[in-house]
Amino acid sequence: MRFTIFQDSHTGDRSGNEDRVGYSYSRNVLLLVIADGMGGHMKGELAAEIAVTEVTRRFQQEARNRLKKPQEFLVSAINSAHRAIVAQAVEENLLESPRTTCVACIVQGNSAHWAWAGDSRLYVLRNGKLAAQTSDHSRVQQMIDAGAITVEQAARHPDRNKIYSCLGGVVPPQIGVAREFKLEQGDTIMLSTDGFWAQIPATLIGTLLRKQDIVGLMPGLITEAHRRAMGESDNISVVAMTWENQEDENVSDTTQMLGEEQFTTSSNTQDLDIPGGPAGDDVTEEDIEKAIAEIQSAIKKVPR
Amino acid sequence: MPQQVNQPLPAGYVLNGYRIEKPLSSGGFSIVYLARDESGTPFAIKEYLPSSLALRSEGVEVDISDENNLSIFRHGLKCFFEEGRALAMISHPNVVRVENFFRANETCYMVMQYVRGRTLQFHIQRNRHEFTEAFIRRLFIHLMNGLREVHANKLLHLDIKPANIFLAMDGRPVLLDFGAARITLSEEALKLKPMYTAGFAAPEHYRFNPQELGPWADIYSVGATIYTCIAGTPPQAADAREKKDQMIPLKSLARQPYSEDLYAITNESLALDYLQRPQTAFDLQKRLMEEPVEEKKSSFFDTLSKPVSKLFSR
Repeated sequence: MRFTIFQDSHTGDRSGNEDRVGYSYSRNVLLLVIADGMGGHMKGELAAEIAVTEVTRRFQQEARNRLKKPQEFLVSAINSAHRAIVAQAVEENLLESPRTTCVACIVQGNSAHWAWAGDSRLYVLRNGKLAAQTSDHSRVQQMIDAGAITVEQAARHPDRNKIYSCLGGVVPPQIGVAREFKLEQGDTIMLSTDGFWAQIPATLIGTLLRKQDIVGLMPGLITEAHRRAMGESDNISVVAMTWENQEDENVSDTTQMLGEEQFTTSSNTQDLDIPGGPAGDDVTEEDIEKAIAEIQSAIKKVPR
Repeated sequence: MPQQVNQPLPAGYVLNGYRIEKPLSSGGFSIVYLARDESGTPFAIKEYLPSSLALRSEGVEVDISDENNLSIFRHGLKCFFEEGRALAMISHPNVVRVENFFRANETCYMVMQYVRGRTLQFHIQRNRHEFTEAFIRRLFIHLMNGLREVHANKLLHLDIKPANIFLAMDGRPVLLDFGAARITLSEEALKLKPMYTAGFAAPEHYRFNPQELGPWADIYSVGATIYTCIAGTPPQAADAREKKDQMIPLKSLARQPYSEDLYAITNESLALDYLQRPQTAFDLQKRLMEEPVEEKKSSFFDTLSKPVSKLFSR
């Protein structure tokens, strides 16, 4: 698989970061995951931490090769993250269990599958346009669907932060599952928390992606999201992936160098950051010293 | 080409005895600086710094503490070493000379001779009237001297294009940027990802079957470069031509009269079937050195040669 990945999480103007993002891939399967710990409840960051850690753990357990039923896997992994959060709350004797949103996406073959709970979003951008997106499990989204308010009104609605599905709540999460989505070269899948999507419209991202790749574009957009919140920015998190030409040898990120059972993982959780990176083709210190010595000696040998 | 997100080294910074004056250019994998050594001799120093990784937001040290970045960084470093190895082996007036190669600031640097002048691309964009037949022939005859030397060292350049050919003040063409160069006999080097520029890369370069790559791949790029000198624009990309060849016949784009012979040489070099091209830089050089037949006056010859040029432009 050939793809480019960008991920970052920014505290914004809050005192702590309750967002967690991560990705993990083996040779044939890629996971993207994001969670936004809920601020109104206790220890939101703990819930988000457990969500990303648990989904990633399940992924690494089951996705050594392709997942047979990716949608079922996603629902099951999100549910087990929910149970892990509740169990942790009991363990720590918390008065109320911490809560989080969660969006997770699996890419394998030429297809993407995703599932979500809450109001963190996934967008698929194709040719500068929004080709698919999740529908928030939020009070305002229900009102929009009922025709009671417009999208613009929702952005300013006093209840805009109220969601009716999350992990860690008294009732199990209501999980949205998307149909299989066939990827085309150049498609970008982007997961973000409301600190980002509430400030940066999808149409703007699409327009800018026509001229720039995610690695060049996203850092600036995160800064812009922070700026637009005018000193009241929520945590801002994004993980994005562009599906490259699968035949193109000249592409930055590829899973080809991974061994059969290896995973490359990156996240802002406390203990998931597994060092290593794409293995098997690494240049060692010794290789570098040797190459330089060879070049130096060639320079001296050839008469100038 | 992605813009560099990384900060260039500041002017006045002394790097291993070379004082940095200013950045000259920056690309996807490097920044090139103008620098001077203690005696004031100017050099072009190429700093390996892939722009896809944000590695230096301030200061001079390259930060590769991120494990994932480190792996990608070091893979690209391999390509940088290939370029250094390639250039270190060659000493020729038509090929840029590498003078030093060292490690500093957690990355690597290649010190090259500084050539005063402009790229061929600059001249094509600004001074198209200068591209007379005699000028083009002389330019490429000299350039073939350099390319012969490259091939004699069992190297392929694999990224010949107007932006990689420098015209020194004395009119001497100098082949630059061996970032894509490969040592043809080394299996290891051929495993590296190919880089190519649409319009200039040969069709077999896209397929990247090592057995098919040879001097003729560079010849295709030279043909595309001559085409660009005459037409002001590169030919249709080779991968698209293989699906449907819509390369605009060079003659219809020419802004001044050229001999049928020069059109024919260019078209032959741009043949999709590599066996139809001049096979070596020497072959192409010989063709360029042959005096063009004076055909302008003879309308009979004109009609005769037309089907020939059509055949080649197919």
